[in-house]
Amino acid sequence: MNQASPSYRVLLIIPCFNEQGAIAALLDEITVLGAGYATVVIDDGSGDRTGEIACQLSPTVRLLTNLGIGGAVQTGIKYANRNGFDFCVQIDGDGQHPPAEVGKLLQAYYQAPRSVIIGSRYLANDSFRSTFARRFGSRTIAWSLNRLFARCRVTDPTSGMRLMDRSAIALFASRYPHDFPEPISLAWALKAGLSVGECEVQMRAREHGSSSIVGLRPLAYMFRVLGYILLARLSHGARPRQIPS
Amino acid sequence: MTPSLHTILLIGVFAAWYLIFIARETARQRLDLYDFAMLSTVAVIPLGVVIFPQAAVRLAEIAGVGFPFVVMFGVLFAILFIFIHRLTVKIHRLENDNRLLIQELSLQRQAAEKTRTP
Repeated sequence: MNQASPSYRVLLIIPCFNEQGAIAALLDEITVLGAGYATVVIDDGSGDRTGEIACQLSPTVRLLTNLGIGGAVQTGIKYANRNGFDFCVQIDGDGQHPPAEVGKLLQAYYQAPRSVIIGSRYLANDSFRSTFARRFGSRTIAWSLNRLFARCRVTDPTSGMRLMDRSAIALFASRYPHDFPEPISLAWALKAGLSVGECEVQMRAREHGSSSIVGLRPLAYMFRVLGYILLARLSHGARPRQIPS
Repeated sequence: MTPSLHTILLIGVFAAWYLIFIARETARQRLDLYDFAMLSTVAVIPLGVVIFPQAAVRLAEIAGVGFPFVVMFGVLFAILFIFIHRLTVKIHRLENDNRLLIQELSLQRQAAEKTRTP
């Protein structure tokens, strides 16, 4: 099943920063897919023509200044919350996340509903390759999440491709981490009593731009994230806000 | 232990200048009264120590430290630490408020543009 069920409204949140070379192709790919997904591009204060290009092809929220990935994604989640979407799926604006894989996340939800479903690069141990430092960091974060939260079994907590249902949308619209949001948001969701699942997805290599997490930064990233996860485990969890039906 | 007139004058001039400076900043609403009270300790405490050195000696005895100036700098450090802690909390809150405002403005601008588009 590659298409969303007609009774559900699915929003693809596409955070972008200086992605003028990739955004049009990604939006075209979503249109060609014909799965009926709504899209919203969050232009995170790009200095190039990303916003202009996106505006012509999709609803686009142009942030007044750069907020970083956490602020951009939360803007998209707020958009989903206010417009009554049942699911939102975060996919990167650089084209690494094939829109065709969104169907797998929905399929996984229909089979075993979870508030957050992560698109995992490592679940099927596929051809996705990254640096040793990134894999080590990701695995350490996954291990700590699995150890600290009883209901958590994840392999790819840093994946930026994820599905959120209405309870996760409600929680993250009111509270979302701004630094290193992917793994920390999982810890917050688990602490708030939401469930987290995973499904295997294929991802593409980046064609435009470059990652900001290079060199020894993955290790610094890992230690900071571990600190935040530990704090989340020790703190009182936030409860998801009730959404009127 | 009696400070020389030279020392008293030096500290006194600094204290007076600094107090006047932060009082003017407070009057211009660049500082609030809490900031004024905290920052004024940088002038008031050294002035107090230099005018009443025996008080500093007594405090040093109570605190169990050898030198009165350690007490003075300890108290100043504690006050400035509280001040910096408060500033950090305030900056973090303002940063969050700023982020929320940017999100709200951007979302509302998008909604307004959508309604204008036929």
